Amino acid sequence: MALLTVENLSIGYHTRKGFLKSVQGVSFSLAEGESLGLVGESGCGKTTIGMCLMGLLPENAAVTGGRILFEGTDLLQLSKTEIRRVRWKKIAMIFQAAMNALNPVHRVGEQIAEAILAHHADISEETAMKQVESLFQVVGIPPDRINDYPHQYSGGMKQRAIIAMALSCNPPLIIADEPTTALDVIVQDQILNAIKDFQNKLNVSLIFISHDIAVVADVCDSIGIMFAGQLVEYGTVKDVFNAPMHPYTQTLLASYLTLDKDTVHLNSNPGETPDLINATAGCRFSERCAFADADCSLNTPEWIEISPMHKTLCSRFK
Amino acid sequence: MTANPSTQPSNIRERPSKRFPTIERLAEGWAVYKENLIGKIGLTLLVIFALMAVCSFFPPLIDPMYHPMTGVDPIISHSTGPSWRHWLGTDFIGRDILCQLLAGARIAFMVGISAAFMSIFLGTIIGMIAGYAGKIVDTLLMRLADMIMVMPTLLVVLILSSLFGQLNIWTIVLLIALFRWPGVSRVIRAQTLSLKERSFIEAAKVTGASHFRIIFRHIMPNVLPLSLLYMTFRVTSAIIIEAALAFLGFGDPSTVSWGMMLQWVWKTGHMFQAPYWLLPPGICISLLTLSFYMLGRAMEEVLDPRLRKEVAQE
Amino acid sequence: MKNPNTVIVQLENISKTFRTRTSFLTGASKEVVALNRVSFEIFKGEIFGLVGESGSGKTTIGRLMVKLETPDSGKLWVDGNYIAHIKGRKLKNFRRKVQMIFQDPYQSLNPYLSVFDSVSEPLVVHNVGDSKTRRDRVRQSLHAVGLSPPDDLFYRYPHQMSGGQRQRIAIARAMVLEPEFVVADEPTSMLDASIAIHIFNILSDLRKKFKVTFLFITHSLAAARYLCDRIAVIYKGEIVETGPAEDIIQNPQHPYTQALIKAHPRFRHSLKRNIIRSKGT
Repeated sequence: MALLTVENLSIGYHTRKGFLKSVQGVSFSLAEGESLGLVGESGCGKTTIGMCLMGLLPENAAVTGGRILFEGTDLLQLSKTEIRRVRWKKIAMIFQAAMNALNPVHRVGEQIAEAILAHHADISEETAMKQVESLFQVVGIPPDRINDYPHQYSGGMKQRAIIAMALSCNPPLIIADEPTTALDVIVQDQILNAIKDFQNKLNVSLIFISHDIAVVADVCDSIGIMFAGQLVEYGTVKDVFNAPMHPYTQTLLASYLTLDKDTVHLNSNPGETPDLINATAGCRFSERCAFADADCSLNTPEWIEISPMHKTLCSRFK
Repeated sequence: MTANPSTQPSNIRERPSKRFPTIERLAEGWAVYKENLIGKIGLTLLVIFALMAVCSFFPPLIDPMYHPMTGVDPIISHSTGPSWRHWLGTDFIGRDILCQLLAGARIAFMVGISAAFMSIFLGTIIGMIAGYAGKIVDTLLMRLADMIMVMPTLLVVLILSSLFGQLNIWTIVLLIALFRWPGVSRVIRAQTLSLKERSFIEAAKVTGASHFRIIFRHIMPNVLPLSLLYMTFRVTSAIIIEAALAFLGFGDPSTVSWGMMLQWVWKTGHMFQAPYWLLPPGICISLLTLSFYMLGRAMEEVLDPRLRKEVAQE
Repeated sequence: MKNPNTVIVQLENISKTFRTRTSFLTGASKEVVALNRVSFEIFKGEIFGLVGESGSGKTTIGRLMVKLETPDSGKLWVDGNYIAHIKGRKLKNFRRKVQMIFQDPYQSLNPYLSVFDSVSEPLVVHNVGDSKTRRDRVRQSLHAVGLSPPDDLFYRYPHQMSGGQRQRIAIARAMVLEPEFVVADEPTSMLDASIAIHIFNILSDLRKKFKVTFLFITHSLAAARYLCDRIAVIYKGEIVETGPAEDIIQNPQHPYTQALIKAHPRFRHSLKRNIIRSKGT
């Protein structure tokens, strides 16, 4: 049984201008120890999904459909208190620029121990600190830095401390929302290695949310491409990268600059983010799509299976 | 390798306003404001008082005996209670109290808004210059502001009045303005300091704009909302100061203000005998200042996006 | 287009130190050495990339070149002129020729100015043209960055536009005076990847069309490689390597450059791409 199954999830926000359909009919699943990357540009809904999984949606957000089956239970049916129990113990989150999540007036080690003690009332402080030590080993922080204050840590180390905090309660699932966006390339590389390390060692499932497709490709087994609230392509990283089916995926891959590509001058046709308040029933990418025909903007695109591990939301492949 | 011209941004962007962003922002601001209960109450009260002020012109036209200062009822020559002839009664020489109240509203608005406007005007300019120039200019101006802020306005104005005799209402307004600008200037200075670091100011510098242009074209529009907000708070203090001055006998004797009315009640010994005369001006002072204050608090929410309940962005 | 013999910007032994505020308790202040004897040249008509991580000093160099900061020591020449102490008319002329595109498109446009006002601001400041010619020039400038029909756009305000559009307006503003040298300080770091490519293409087009020289400051070697002719790599306030873009990527000499290249994320699974170095999983 998969650890997490998201079925047809739809989420929206009540805004003064109308109801913004931020996430529309997204489905994916995650096995134990698997890592899934959710990639998309700003406004695609990936962070909203992450927040929803953690139960951290703001007041004006509303889940309009779907189920989230985590270890067999539908998270959307849980009460606030029940969600609080699940949160952090079972699903932990690493936020963007999370280094600001550390309290500057407390020692780092203490803060992490506090997180442990908050969820396990029965263990002693000493045991908690010992766990912190082993966590630091997992994420690669020298043990003699446990008693330092956050300002004594570099940006990369702070982020690693945050990862340690996320791991502290041994959650089976970690959601990382743009964990390396604020960091330099070399530090980013170290953090990504640390993430890959702990994933291997601890068999933790990971949802990695990012706008950077190369980073996701580096870390994850499977990938979901999101556009305007819809999941437009989903499959293993290998399949999706070798044979990108959806036009948006192709655009995304074409606009990413790497060092190992021949210098090709890329054509750009960025277009604007579609209107999510008055979204049409048809494919949301049709306006920008080079292959779109009249049907595309009118009819809901279908979820086509290219192979068991590779699906795309595009009626072209029927 | 050509970049394609972007398509016209589609449906999500609203029709562009041909006017300033002010209009669009006003509309947006109004939408936020509407949701605020305090703001609605404040605005309603203000509208009532404004109507009062406007109506103050009518009674003397109907019948000269209704003139607030000079309209003496030929029949009545002492203080009487409410009647059909005089809805709130008359004062100690037979003048209609309601008309005085309406005229007082006019004075309150005039004094309040003028004094507030002048102090904001001064405070904003000084604040912007201090914040932008920094160093010596900043220090000098802020020390000056400190000195003035420390002085008790009411006391000083009282002293000046007693030295120079009865003061004209506009002099009072000017004095209030001169003593109240420091508070505003501090806030504007702080705002300017933070604006100074923003890229569009640096962009203006790189373009070659003069300091004057940067202050008045770039910084000022951005601090103006804050200035206006503070103006509402200044109005409250201006009204109260004027009322206090009038009550203590240092007001302009040729104008009828609520404070002046209170002074007459007191001076003529009618404090406890004529509640119909004592209560209205007192209540009006309180309510008017309260309504401006409420307006200010509601505007705060409009102006500071953080206080609003906004949509979480991706 | 590239004349290797014409240097438009030259830095010689530029150093700059920032002093942080004195600590309240100890009275000690920290000194941060932002730049340490930096020297390099930029040739006329080229797009020169300055690559470094945050804190490397790259942004400081950009700011020095547009006189938003002054160096503590060293010499800085722009178009043959030593710019350290210029004032008055000379300074104004300098500002006509040297412009800057800022990193954050959400902050670099005055929210109270319409698109037309923002882009025409340089024309007004330098008293160029009358109201009709200004409209024409603003229109041309907007067209050059791919924004059309511009007339509709004239009266929009920044908050009505996306990040990519705002940045293009900032570029239009920088280009409206047809400057000779433009510093682009991480112009795409706050934008999505596809918009970034669009911006790079625009800059490239502008270089061709207006024969303008660009200094492109970035933390991404890949971006620098795509857009730039030559690159300098900066680390902790010192230039560690300079050379043609392709050379630096294929044949990095300095260990820091090599580390940067190695750290760049790669598509592990793509078979179609030519992988320079394979990473262990």
